[in-house]
Amino acid sequence: MSVTILTAYDQRPDGLDGLDGPDGTGEFAYRAGGTDLQERLRTTGATPHILDLTGVPGFAAVERTDDGTTLGAGVTVAALARDLAGDYPALALTAGGLATPQVRTAATIGGNLLQRTRCWYFRHPHTSCFKSGGDSCPARDGRHLYGNVFDTAPCVHPHPSSLAMALLTYAATVDTTQRDGLAVGEVLGDGSDPTRDHLLADDEVLTRVVLPPPAPGEQAAYFRSISRFEAEWPLVEAVVRVVRDDAGTVTSCGVAIGGVAPVPLRLAAVEALLTGSTLDDDTVARAAASAAQGANPLPETGYKVALVEATVREVLERVRG
Amino acid sequence: MELTTTVNDETRVVEVDGTESAVDLVRDGLGLTGTKLVCGSGVCGACTMLVDGEPVLGCLTPATRLRDASVTTVEGIARRGGDDGGGDDLHPVQRAFAHHDGLQCGYCTPGFVVDAVAFHDRWRAEHGTDEPDRQAVAEALAGHLCRCGAYEGIYRAVAAACRGEHDAAGGSGEHVERVERVEAPAKVTGAAVYTTDVVRPGMLHAAIRRSDHAAGVVGPITFPDGVLGIDVLGEDRRVRWAGQPIAVVAAETQAEARRLARELAVPFTPEPFVIDPDEAARPGAPLVYATKADRKEAPTASEGAPMPAPWDGNVHGPSRAPFLGTLAKRRIRSARSEGRKGLVELEFHTAAQLHTAFEPHACVADWSDPQYLRVWLSTQGVAAMRLEIADHFDLDPTHVEVVAEHVGGGFGAKLGLTMEAVAAISLSRLSRRPVRLVLDRHEELTGTGNRPGSRSRVSLLVDDDTQAVRALTVDTDSHAGIAVGNSVAALAMFLYDRTPRLARDVDVVTNAPPGAPFRGPGGPTIAWALEQTVDETAHRFGRDPIELRAQWDGNPKRQALYRWASALPTWQGRPATGSQTGRYRRGVGVAAGNWMYFVDPDCEVVVRVEAGRLVVSTAVQDMGTGSRTVLARAVAGVFDVEPTAVDVRLGLANSGATHGPASGGSRTTVSLWSTAVDAATSLRARIGTDLAGAPDGVSATAKRGGDRGMRAVPVTMGGIQVGRGFSAAVHVSEVEVDTRTGKTRVLRVHGGIAVGRIHAPVLARSQCEGSVIQGIGLALYENQVLDPHTGLTLTANLEDYRIPQLGDTPEIDIHFHEDGWDRVPGGGVGLGEVATISPAASVGNAIFNATGWRPLTLPVRPDRLLEGLRAGGAR
Ligand SMILES: Cc1cc2nc3c(=O)[nH]c(=O)nc-3n(C[C@H](O)[C@H](O)[C@H](O)COP(=O)(O)OP(=O)(O)OC[C@H]3O[C@@H](n4cnc5c(N)ncnc54)[C@H](O)[C@@H]3O)c2cc1C
Ligand code: SF4
Ligand code: FES
Ligand code: FES
Repeated sequence: MSVTILTAYDQRPDGLDGLDGPDGTGEFAYRAGGTDLQERLRTTGATPHILDLTGVPGFAAVERTDDGTTLGAGVTVAALARDLAGDYPALALTAGGLATPQVRTAATIGGNLLQRTRCWYFRHPHTSCFKSGGDSCPARDGRHLYGNVFDTAPCVHPHPSSLAMALLTYAATVDTTQRDGLAVGEVLGDGSDPTRDHLLADDEVLTRVVLPPPAPGEQAAYFRSISRFEAEWPLVEAVVRVVRDDAGTVTSCGVAIGGVAPVPLRLAAVEALLTGSTLDDDTVARAAASAAQGANPLPETGYKVALVEATVREVLERVRG
Repeated sequence: MELTTTVNDETRVVEVDGTESAVDLVRDGLGLTGTKLVCGSGVCGACTMLVDGEPVLGCLTPATRLRDASVTTVEGIARRGGDDGGGDDLHPVQRAFAHHDGLQCGYCTPGFVVDAVAFHDRWRAEHGTDEPDRQAVAEALAGHLCRCGAYEGIYRAVAAACRGEHDAAGGSGEHVERVERVEAPAKVTGAAVYTTDVVRPGMLHAAIRRSDHAAGVVGPITFPDGVLGIDVLGEDRRVRWAGQPIAVVAAETQAEARRLARELAVPFTPEPFVIDPDEAARPGAPLVYATKADRKEAPTASEGAPMPAPWDGNVHGPSRAPFLGTLAKRRIRSARSEGRKGLVELEFHTAAQLHTAFEPHACVADWSDPQYLRVWLSTQGVAAMRLEIADHFDLDPTHVEVVAEHVGGGFGAKLGLTMEAVAAISLSRLSRRPVRLVLDRHEELTGTGNRPGSRSRVSLLVDDDTQAVRALTVDTDSHAGIAVGNSVAALAMFLYDRTPRLARDVDVVTNAPPGAPFRGPGGPTIAWALEQTVDETAHRFGRDPIELRAQWDGNPKRQALYRWASALPTWQGRPATGSQTGRYRRGVGVAAGNWMYFVDPDCEVVVRVEAGRLVVSTAVQDMGTGSRTVLARAVAGVFDVEPTAVDVRLGLANSGATHGPASGGSRTTVSLWSTAVDAATSLRARIGTDLAGAPDGVSATAKRGGDRGMRAVPVTMGGIQVGRGFSAAVHVSEVEVDTRTGKTRVLRVHGGIAVGRIHAPVLARSQCEGSVIQGIGLALYENQVLDPHTGLTLTANLEDYRIPQLGDTPEIDIHFHEDGWDRVPGGGVGLGEVATISPAASVGNAIFNATGWRPLTLPVRPDRLLEGLRAGGAR
């Protein structure tokens, strides 16, 4: 029931990189914004030793160099939405479109990538499943209205991170206290291990997210399909970034979707269709249709097949302007 | 660890532990209970506070984050507005909330106020007194929910504050400021005390151990040494639903009580169970109630006792309400075999809707004085609860007191003596210490009741030429879990002509959590079915749906509402059904509502003069429905003073207080108003209007009594007398359907309400607006989901149980038709329920008008809409 606020590292020359787990073997948890962790602590009544990262120097720093932009793990979602709108609009729009203003103020990019699933079985205090120490997925034979439409893993709930989806389109990399240059896919895995939401070790701290240099002229669009006004977990979400030449031809692009699979998906086939096109109606229609290719919905997620197409179509039309 | 923090300009040194959240520190550690805890998961915003000027969520912010920070809670907001020359110290946003009635029960209000203050200050700095549009306000406050649906008032308040109209107390320029809801100042400053805020010296905290199995038998429970606990199972030791309370334990802290409850050893023998109603109805299904004696244990989901009806396995019923029922059946059968155009037959499904009042069920019981039991209870009926508690514990009522100063919503789920009260009282008797038991949101969303799901089959036969009604049959299966006594189909007896008809209600019991009365029990459910069937009939014959209803409807008040509705530009501009082809399709729908009139003839009100001020009192409660304001206005009107010049004492039932009505069955205002007027009038006859000169303590009491010659049913049951006549409503809704993403937005709702004279117009409008919001929730989002294999409630948080947000609020226009109730003292009846019957059905009809696809199943989620349109339902 204790807490270490890691300002002790203030004195360390190596700041973020000097972090490791606590001495001793008791249960512990790293904490950034706390927007995911605090809810789970309240529900489960767990009282691990807390290692609070917020005091660590460089935790919330944004560094821009010729090689790209380095985001401290503690950069908040609100800061992404505000400060990266010019250079990395796909990431900024995604950040601005998730959760609620108060959550965005507190939530960090590191915590967003490493948050645990929002599956209603997992968050229920009286169930157990792969992700909470059990050996099955009760959602698969049970209720999975918000589940995957690309059913490629034993766990049927989509990965929650919207930012991971946007970072995929930038081929961003992640540094930790133990490794550098991990692709987002290496951090989140492919869902084949249903017990995990990410593949970092227990005592491994995510330190930075590294983006390539901004693409001049990048345009982006983000959209989530939901039932209400805002502040609802996406049924399906999509993000697109494009760079077009003077003639309006797409010279490079990135498209990814979330809410549909064990991890967010970058849609290479869609990108291939768009590249070299002028985002004409026909291309947009074909690209959107191809987004849902390979979908193998669960009994309750058949509606998401149409919604994948609709959501991708929506972002493509929006980015076309 | 120990940390220093500055809270509302005061420096505090506090001890926090690592896992604690800021809201716990502020409420429990610092005693600042203005900040509320509702969802505990970042969804509702009730816990919002400012940390170094930024709005943050107290439930997700670690307490350690307050170290060396400057924290402003709702209690500290007023002072921030102090130097604007306002005089009353309130922030302009707080004044605006009071003036525009941006609140009802007030439980979400502190969170809204704090965040709206941050938005207002930012907006004013950037935009001066320009008005923000609704979109800007909705985005800024997207992290807040209000279950009462006070969103229209919140929009009005935020916009007016941003326009600068509330910069000075009393208003500025031509804007004269009023406090509409007399307790609004207490609610916007966080001073209002709810049961969850009550702290007693030496208080213990209790927690419930619940079953995670849907059925089984529990062996004897042994509490570990030194652990104070009670077993709350019935004599048969049976668990019948997942989440059912088994035992309650108490400890020095809430965390400790929760841990003890979790770790308690419960000997449990699981038994077969059934969750799905279709399976439950099949022969051979596991029986929820195995014996005749067991069946007596079944709780009732409606307000009265269940009608006697036969049992067949898990099927209870039918209870039949016939009027020439055999003829109705025969006519429909032959119309069916003849394939008559005039026969419309549809089957409808509704999902269970959870009350989720923002103040959870909560009780603080103090029986430390063996001679006197004091109970703080979040209840809809302090007077009734006092008697029930006395009865349950075999006490003389003069030794019992029930307190509910403010109640954070109830919606029907807080009418009875619920287990948390019994448990807290029992534990207090054992320990002779005060005991507090407060449910968390998970418990609240699991086991405190719901508007049951249902399946209704409606057959409506009209004459092919004249469309006169020839026959109507309605068969409803209600799915209230372990509860029985639903009355849905029976409500179809009261509308549209006295033609042959037959209504049959059946309960299919399952091992699911029990249903409970929910605002207009059965009403929105029958309207969803009946009003869409009527709409379908109108469509089939090319008739105007309002005009067709007017042809049938014998209720003169609803006739007046039909005339009003027909003339609305929204109605006149409605498109032809199915005529639209684009991505976004707009449509307009209408539905009618009907409700009974109830009154509590035993209601007594006292008006007295104390130190030159008028004081009105009775043992009633105010859960945001306006009892305080109604009493104040009634007395103020007689003495010709402002309502704020009258002190209202309520929320206390003891031997000194007179009997007041429960807040349920729309009976509160109609019982209070004329009684308060009578008491005030007789006091005024005695002392005139010179209050200063009146002898201190002089008082007059009046009793409501029944309406002479006016009862429909000559008995009074549990404080309810059924009066003669029906109240009426008509809702016209306009929607926009996005056929690409399956999302439906409600753009505009007109609500016509005929309940006679309106005693507190601004509050009445708020109630009716809230009904529309709850109806939109029912129509589009709200859906209790259970795991089919365990019966556990999966929608046990406010992320997965989706209620309407600020941004989902349509423009709402409320029209009161005030004639027709002159025979009732005061000239008007209650509106809490009649206003809630038809909104969802009008949205359903609007979706049909927009798309040509009729949504038969609630809620109309994107998946259903996409599937419906895809399946070619569109005409
Ligand atoms: C109402 C609501 C709606 C939401 N909607 C969305 C949405 O649409 N899309 C979306 O993506 N998210 C959404 N979220 C989730 C939110 O974005 C995450 O909770 C948040 O990003 C987590 O960040 P945090 O800093 O608060 O993490 P924390 O809660 O502090 O931590 C999360 C987890 O990561 C670990 N952790 C955190 N930082 C590190 C680190 N640097 N190194 C190692 N481990 C670490 C913690 O131990 C913990 O297990 C929503 C949340 C709420 C409450
Ligand atoms: S394994 Fe995944 S989908 Fe299945 S219950 Fe657990 S979190 Fe949910
Ligand atoms: S209680 Fe904190 S957001 Fe609901
Ligand atoms: S006033 Fe918002 S929850 Fe009651």
